[in-house]
This record gives sequence, C-alpha cells and structure tokens, in this order.
Amino acid sequence: MANKIKLINSLENITSIPTLPIVIERITRLLQNPKTSAEEVGKAITTDQALATKVLKLVNSAFYGFPGKISTITHAIVILGFSTIKSVVLTASIFDSFRKQGDNTTSFDLEQFWRHSIACGAAAQAIAKFLGSNDKEEYFIAGLLHDLGKLILCQYLPNEFNLALSNAQIKKCLFFESEKELFDVTHQDVGAFLTRRWNLPQNLQNTVLFHHDPDPSRDHFLMTASVHCADIFVRALDIGNGGDNKIPEMSEYVWNSFGFESASLSGLLDAIRDEIAKATVFLQIT
Amino acid sequence: MILGREICGSSGNVLVSKGSPLSAALGRRLANWGISTIIVEGEEDSQLEENSVSISPEKLKDDLMDKFANVIHNPIMKKIFVAIYQYRVQKNI
Repeated sequence: MANKIKLINSLENITSIPTLPIVIERITRLLQNPKTSAEEVGKAITTDQALATKVLKLVNSAFYGFPGKISTITHAIVILGFSTIKSVVLTASIFDSFRKQGDNTTSFDLEQFWRHSIACGAAAQAIAKFLGSNDKEEYFIAGLLHDLGKLILCQYLPNEFNLALSNAQIKKCLFFESEKELFDVTHQDVGAFLTRRWNLPQNLQNTVLFHHDPDPSRDHFLMTASVHCADIFVRALDIGNGGDNKIPEMSEYVWNSFGFESASLSGLLDAIRDEIAKATVFLQIT
Repeated sequence: MILGREICGSSGNVLVSKGSPLSAALGRRLANWGISTIIVEGEEDSQLEENSVSISPEKLKDDLMDKFANVIHNPIMKKIFVAIYQYRVQKNI
C-alpha cells in the first residue's frame, strides 16, 4: 500500500506529463455545436500544420478506404464525417505527444510497443465488425491506447518500470502481474489516470482501466472486452511486444458471450490480419 | 529485407529457409537459438505484421507453449492455443 501511494503521488507531481493538444479541445467544442461547418473544423485542425499533415496522410491511407484521393482537411471532413475526423486527429495527437518525448532510459522496445498497440487497435476494430458494432474508429483508438500507462511509466518513472520489466522476465509472468506484485499499481491504473486527466470519453477510460478484467456489470463492456480479446490474439500472432512474452487468460464470459465457441476463429484471425495490414500507415506518421 | 541463406540447426535441419522476410520476431528467435550472424538481401521495410517467417511447426509449437505456459490449464485457452497453432501452421506465419 505504501508503494501504491508513493507511485501515485510521484505521478501527480510530474508536471511534464503531456497535455492533450488544444486543437482536440477546440474540435470537441466545435462538434458539440450542430451548426458547426466542415470549414470551421478544418480551420481548427490546420492551425497545427504538422498535425494537419499527419491527418491527411492517415485519411489517404488504405485504412480509411480513400487512398490518395483526399487533398484538403475540409474534403476529408466532408467524406469521412466529423466523428471519424475527430478520431483521426486524436490518434495523430497521441502519437505526437509521446513520440516527441523519445527519452527512453529503459530496455523497453518502443518500436515493438507501438506495433503491439496499433495491431491491438486494428484487431479490436475487426472484433467490433465481428460483433456487428458501428463504432469501429472508437474501438481502434481504445485498442491503440489500452497500454498508455506503460508509456507513462517508461518515460516518467523508468526505475520502477525497469523493475517491473525484469521481475516479469524472472517470474515469467504478465507485466501487470509483476507491477501488481511490486507496487500494487498497474499500467491500467496509470493509463486511467492519464485518460481522466485528458478528459477522454468514459468508454476509453474504462477500456484502459479494465482491459485485463472485462466485467459485464460495468459500462462499456463490449469495447473493454473487445480490446481484452484483441490483446490476446495479437500476442498469440506474435505482432509487436508490450513488455512480456506471455498470454493473458481470456474471460470465460467474454468467450461465451462473443460466440467464439461456435465461431470460425480462423475467419476472425483472417479479418484481424486484414485490419492490421491496413493499419501499417500508423507506423509511418512519426 | 530477406534472408540470403537458409539457417540450419545443429543436426542440419532447416530452421528458417532462404528468402524468408526478416523481422524482429525472427531476430528474437535467432537470439534464442544462439545465432548471432546471418546473411541478408534487399532493403529495409516496415510492416506491422512482421513475422511471416517459415519456421518449423515444432519450433512454432515450442514458442507458443512458452507463451501459453501459465494459462494452458484453462480449457478455453487450450482451444485458443490449438486454433492459433493450426492457423499459423496453415498460413505459414
């Protein structure tokens, strides 16, 4: 318990933890007004030229289905809609916030971390399709962000992070089991701290906090459980690495309620790999 | 980049065939096998799914067994293990 309080206090006192770019808040405010036009949102995005360039690169990728066809932000908004554009801007901003830091004093392989995170986003999207959900972009972001806490720990509390990494290797356990044993705080708790600070939607907050423990009695269970499954399938397919080489246990409730018992897992794995192949563009927006 | 020459085990069996794409996953396997030098061809590329490497089904099974070691007692995880193993053997990934 003493360790837990110490670690949370350390986080609360770190003033350099990235803030979400103002453009996201501005866009969120604009989108709350039904009279907002595509031009107004486009103008808000283009105030940050680096961000606007990344947004254009993403919307012109195979991932969004219009490769090489969108030349302006306003055009992108008209074709893809406000909600998708907000997801794209949020994704590009998050990459910006953390890739800029680059001060990794641990043995953690950030390139492999991003591969794992992007693949989880793509896999969560494929699972959303499998379940018949329409919120595919939200599922992608949820998968992308699920291990956000590891980035914070790696960059702002590297000593504690290194301890948890080596303990996981020695004990041959999952990273969060190692964190729990050492600090009684996990990357889920730390990630949730940041999603609250950033005032991200509740579905993302819950997914980050509960992706290792999806519970149908909590809100946003489908999204949380989809990311829970995505993490398992991506690890089993050996794509990227989130800090350990083990597989988490799938919730029996999720297995049964998602119909995996009777489904063709081979078909789902094909769909997951298709989405992952399309998401490769996210590796290139640095 | 691809592998310019096949990698063989101590008994001469081919572990990874010539022409297999290079990846971080392959790098980790090579390190586990104690192999520090390989011959490569081509230019560097970047894909999310980076493990399209022909490894033997036995080696894949060992790798997956290691990953699943703590959960294989769970009947659902055993089903996932079998599905993933069969899928990866069939797709050669």
